[in-house]
Amino acid sequence: MQENHYFSLKRKILASMLITPLVPFVLAAVVAYEHFSISTKADAVSKMERIVEDHAGLVDTFLKERKADLGFVAEAYGYESLSDQKTLSQVFKILQKESNAFLDLGIFDQAGVHVAYHGPYELAGKLYSDSQWFNQVRKNGSYVSDIFKGFRKVPHFVIAIAQKDEDRTWVLRATIDPYLFTEVVEKVRMGKTGEAYILNQEGVFQTSRRSGGDLMELDPAAENLLTQHHGARSCILKDKNASEYLYVTTWLPSQPWLLVARQETSDTFADLNQAGFWVLIIALVGGAMISVLAFYMSNRIIARIQQADQEKSQLNQQLVVAGRLAEIGEMSSGFAHEINNPLQIIRAESALIDTIIPDLKKRGELQESEDSRDMEDSLEQIKKQVDRCASITSAILKFARQKDLTPQTIDLCETLPEVTHMIARKAELDGVALSLQTEPPPIRVNADPAQLQQVLLNLINNAIYAMVDRHGTAGGGELKLDCNREGDKAVIRVKDNGGGISQENMEKIFTPFFSTKPVGKGTGLGLSICYGIIEKMGGNITVNSEPGVGTEFVITLPAAG
Amino acid sequence: MEKLKLMLVDDEERFLETTKKLLTKAGYEALTASSGEESLELLGMHTVHVVVLDVKMPGMDGLETLKKIKTLYPLTEVIMLTGHATVEDAVDGMKSGASDYVMKPCDINDLLGRVEEAFRRRKGIEERISMAQARSYVKSPREILRQKAE
Repeated sequence: MQENHYFSLKRKILASMLITPLVPFVLAAVVAYEHFSISTKADAVSKMERIVEDHAGLVDTFLKERKADLGFVAEAYGYESLSDQKTLSQVFKILQKESNAFLDLGIFDQAGVHVAYHGPYELAGKLYSDSQWFNQVRKNGSYVSDIFKGFRKVPHFVIAIAQKDEDRTWVLRATIDPYLFTEVVEKVRMGKTGEAYILNQEGVFQTSRRSGGDLMELDPAAENLLTQHHGARSCILKDKNASEYLYVTTWLPSQPWLLVARQETSDTFADLNQAGFWVLIIALVGGAMISVLAFYMSNRIIARIQQADQEKSQLNQQLVVAGRLAEIGEMSSGFAHEINNPLQIIRAESALIDTIIPDLKKRGELQESEDSRDMEDSLEQIKKQVDRCASITSAILKFARQKDLTPQTIDLCETLPEVTHMIARKAELDGVALSLQTEPPPIRVNADPAQLQQVLLNLINNAIYAMVDRHGTAGGGELKLDCNREGDKAVIRVKDNGGGISQENMEKIFTPFFSTKPVGKGTGLGLSICYGIIEKMGGNITVNSEPGVGTEFVITLPAAG
Repeated sequence: MEKLKLMLVDDEERFLETTKKLLTKAGYEALTASSGEESLELLGMHTVHVVVLDVKMPGMDGLETLKKIKTLYPLTEVIMLTGHATVEDAVDGMKSGASDYVMKPCDINDLLGRVEEAFRRRKGIEERISMAQARSYVKSPREILRQKAE
């Protein structure tokens, strides 16, 4: 029941100590991470979009330059001279110097006949009048083809321009090395997995892709990428290996080609992942610290509460016992008071007899005899015993009546004999030789005399108990009290030659309810109360004991005056 | 010399009886009263020099009785007899005009010693009173001269 109470209390404290700091802590971490991730992602994406747009411009410029090269050649040389194989070869060499992307060069007349050709293939004389590219170039003035295999059976693409003279339109065409073009496109590098490539309107690779994807293959992601849009567009797609990629696409300005750049998101957002990792580590460490602290604190709090409860219940028990003792004190003072009246009568009666006896003798009615002497002797005894009772009742009244604990300056040289006097008879009966030694008076201390008396009586009673236990009541017990001044302290020693205290009991001797006496013999409150009383007086009480030799209690009190 | 008259006030009849016998034997004239009321009554009828008064009595207790005695008969000496071993009651008694206190159980000779002492004190006061009265009766010579001049 009690344990359950502590357990549930502990659970409540622990829960509140965990939740209160953890909730804001976790919220702060999550919100901060979320914000950070959004802005970091936006940053990364916009950076990549900028790169891709720039790059698209670059690639487009490359194509435009190649077109311009051809235009310049056509303008500079004219149809006639270019139709000459030699001149064509020479021009090709010049073009090659300009850009080694050119693989061959050919010239076509109005009808689409390949008039002259310089290059690795035998293409001269072939007719292209039905070719789609030929019609396109004649219509638009220039044309860049998608990659195709054509007669050569290798992937390539062509750039052609149409030149109008006054009576005819002729065409100059060059083949571009797709691998070199790929190099140009691929120049973009972003992180470890960043790559760029070009798709045509059908989603076919116009440049090869480093991470797989050859020329003229269909990009598996094409259907998600081929949308009409201006500027750069980004999206995140998964490939067949389930890796996530950030795609940024933009259409080339002068060619229906889509420049695609992609990078694994893990790569793009590496910074973010790093940050996330640290946020997680900090959150875990912080959380662990909060938890450990919460556990530690709740344990401590519960331990303190338990201790306080224990002390409270001990105090309550002490109060009950103390209350009972006070009641007994009150009662005994009443008894003592009532006993004083009969004692007074006995004394008066004996005094009367005392006066009658000489009268009787004078009148000769009482003869001096052994009986008369016995009678006088017993009368003497009666007086003596009345005196004894009177001293007992007086001691009881003095002990019980001093309820208000007012510390006053007392002289131990007066208090100690009073105490030993109270206990002397008991000690005598128990065969204990009681001796008291004090320095010349006064030895003054500030104390409540009744409480000091209680402490000393307690110690003496314990000592007598221990000595009777060892020696029996036949004699042999020696109880020595002495009182000295030591500097600004008054020291009272109570030394017995009883059985001593065992080592294990020494540690518990001042704890409440510890008793070595058999059940019913002692309350176990004695020494703990003594300890409390002496401590309240500003002194202390210590014990030295040797089993089989004896015990010495030392009370040290600050001297007064 | 006037003979010492004393009164014992206590609720213990036997104590009164025996002590009265003792006192009579010792040559004292003693009255006894078993309550405060009775003692006041007797004081009205007899001249008493010293009262030995028990503190704890049923009805009117010792301190109350003491105060009454002191108001009605201020010259009467009162000795308090207390069963308490504390000085508090005694001090209260002394403050209210008691001349001494004795603790129960007391020795009769000790009690008598104190009674005698109280009696002497009473006598002394009485003497001083009568001397003062005598002085007022006997006129001084200067006064006689002044009277003649008139």
